[in-house]
Amino acid sequence: MKHYSQVAGEISQYSDLPFWKKAGTTDLAYVAYGLFVVTLVLVSYALGALKLLPYDPQQISIGLLNAPPGSGGHLLGTDFLGRDILSRLIVGIQAYFLPGLLAIAISLSLGTALGVVAGYRGGSADPLISYFNDLVDSFPRLVLILLVIAAFKPDIYYVMAVVGVTGVPGVASLIAGKIRFLRQKNFIEAASVLGLPTHVIILKHILWYNCRTLLIIGATLGMGEAILIETSLSYLGFGVQEPTPSWGNMVQAGANYFLQGKFWPSTAPALAILFTILGFHLLGDGLNNILEGKRNK
Amino acid sequence: MRPAAIRPIALALSREIALTALLLLGVSFVVFLILYLSPGDPFSVLLEGQTVGDASRAGIREALGAPRAWYAQYLSWLGNMLKGNFGTSIRTGLPVFGEIVRVGLNTLTLTLGSLLITLCIAVPIALHAAVRGDTALSWPLTMLAYVVSALPVFWLGYLVIYVFIHRFGLFPLISGSSAAQEHAWLYFMVPIAVLGIGNGTVSEVIRYLRDEMSRVMAEDYIRTARAKGGSVWRHAFKEGLLIPVTEIIASKIPFILGGAVIVEQVFNWPGMGRMAWQAAQDRDFPVIMGIAMVAAAFVRLGSLLQSLVYAAVNPRGPQE
Repeated sequence: MKHYSQVAGEISQYSDLPFWKKAGTTDLAYVAYGLFVVTLVLVSYALGALKLLPYDPQQISIGLLNAPPGSGGHLLGTDFLGRDILSRLIVGIQAYFLPGLLAIAISLSLGTALGVVAGYRGGSADPLISYFNDLVDSFPRLVLILLVIAAFKPDIYYVMAVVGVTGVPGVASLIAGKIRFLRQKNFIEAASVLGLPTHVIILKHILWYNCRTLLIIGATLGMGEAILIETSLSYLGFGVQEPTPSWGNMVQAGANYFLQGKFWPSTAPALAILFTILGFHLLGDGLNNILEGKRNK
Repeated sequence: MRPAAIRPIALALSREIALTALLLLGVSFVVFLILYLSPGDPFSVLLEGQTVGDASRAGIREALGAPRAWYAQYLSWLGNMLKGNFGTSIRTGLPVFGEIVRVGLNTLTLTLGSLLITLCIAVPIALHAAVRGDTALSWPLTMLAYVVSALPVFWLGYLVIYVFIHRFGLFPLISGSSAAQEHAWLYFMVPIAVLGIGNGTVSEVIRYLRDEMSRVMAEDYIRTARAKGGSVWRHAFKEGLLIPVTEIIASKIPFILGGAVIVEQVFNWPGMGRMAWQAAQDRDFPVIMGIAMVAAAFVRLGSLLQSLVYAAVNPRGPQE
């Protein structure tokens, strides 16, 4: 049973209001927080790349081990070697940023191509894609990555390429489903009756006008996952190695001191992971609710 | 059940079983391919630090079945595996199958237990949201679910150890003492609870269950049941809860197994995840291959069980 306000909400989706006026406050707040996190990550990445840091992330100071936040001019305190945690957090973004983008680029580009083939051409490509989807889903991703690590001892870019490949079937089935839905619509039929070449229909009318939000959402959620995997691997000792900072190996290095009550050096990177992944999740879900019209009740 | 209804179920199930077999075949091929393509060979790990002549090197390779064509290697590996022979660990020299069975049970307890914890958290919240709609509680609960799903599980583990064991001394840390024996079930429960909360799927599970339940609550047959004064719960249970729960469990097993790798590391839990970690360190190919196969089989078994439940609840079979 629908409450009248829900029905009204549904109608308002089809009105000509811009999307931010139709969207619920919660979704807007999600997106705003997500965009804040994305900006923070981008700015920090740039700062780290340009080495504009409050302290040298490798500078050891024996007099100031595991210092709490604010002591001795260290805004977020220091770790077990007296290195500035804030600087290490900023530099730690290097560990996942570009590898994460690589994973997203691979899963979105290959996934879109496959999805277009399956959705537009249909037929025999369909069961094949769902087979690959199930095949990839059969592996716990971390186990698959450990397998690849055992085989190749790869660096993080190769690992993230594998992560990207495992994301391909998911994107493909998403795009294929959307295209199958769009193909029933009159404007696609009209376009092909008008004699528009197939690549124009696919690239412009299907992908650009109707799938780009889907791809943006996919990229957002993909980045959250890439961060999770990179930090998990670094925590397990397979990713970025000390002394190069990554949020995962910072948590790991601080863990011994956590149990002695010096919880800060591993909590700071853990909170960074938490709030960043939260940001990407909320951004993805908020955009999904607003742009794809799947409203949170 | 009428005999006429059995046929479509049997058909659907045999299709599922065939698909499962096909998928496991694919999995085995992927596993084999990755390790076949790897540079060098694992035998160099075995011979590391020893001065060996080419003859003994070739001897070891021969003994482990290396110098054959790739398909011969694949088929013999597959054939052995079907017979329950997963090879021997390069590091310990023990048969892999026995080792996996030994630690696999621990991982099974960990994953199934934490699935149960996840459901205990998610089901009440989802039902509450679906049945009562927006309440004062729904926003904080949604937010909490998001935060919990983004928590790095390795840090959550340390937090729990610190808060409950060190800070409040709720149970003693020293293992092996009589006190620890007494509290053994607590040590058992802590990693399970940590993985159940921190496996990163809670908010997704809640959302899925809530959406499915609200969809069912809006169906005509529920309205009819309500109008007749019948039990809404009895009518909504199968489609609104049972099927979505089995679906989401089946699809989240891989994530939980992945989380188990980390939680086993944090808590020193003697399971498959730790073994996989060790094997990846040592390039112990037979072990990591065996674990990947067993994990994939576990995932496929989950989805097979899910289609079984689906077929039992919905005898019409899947609607194409």
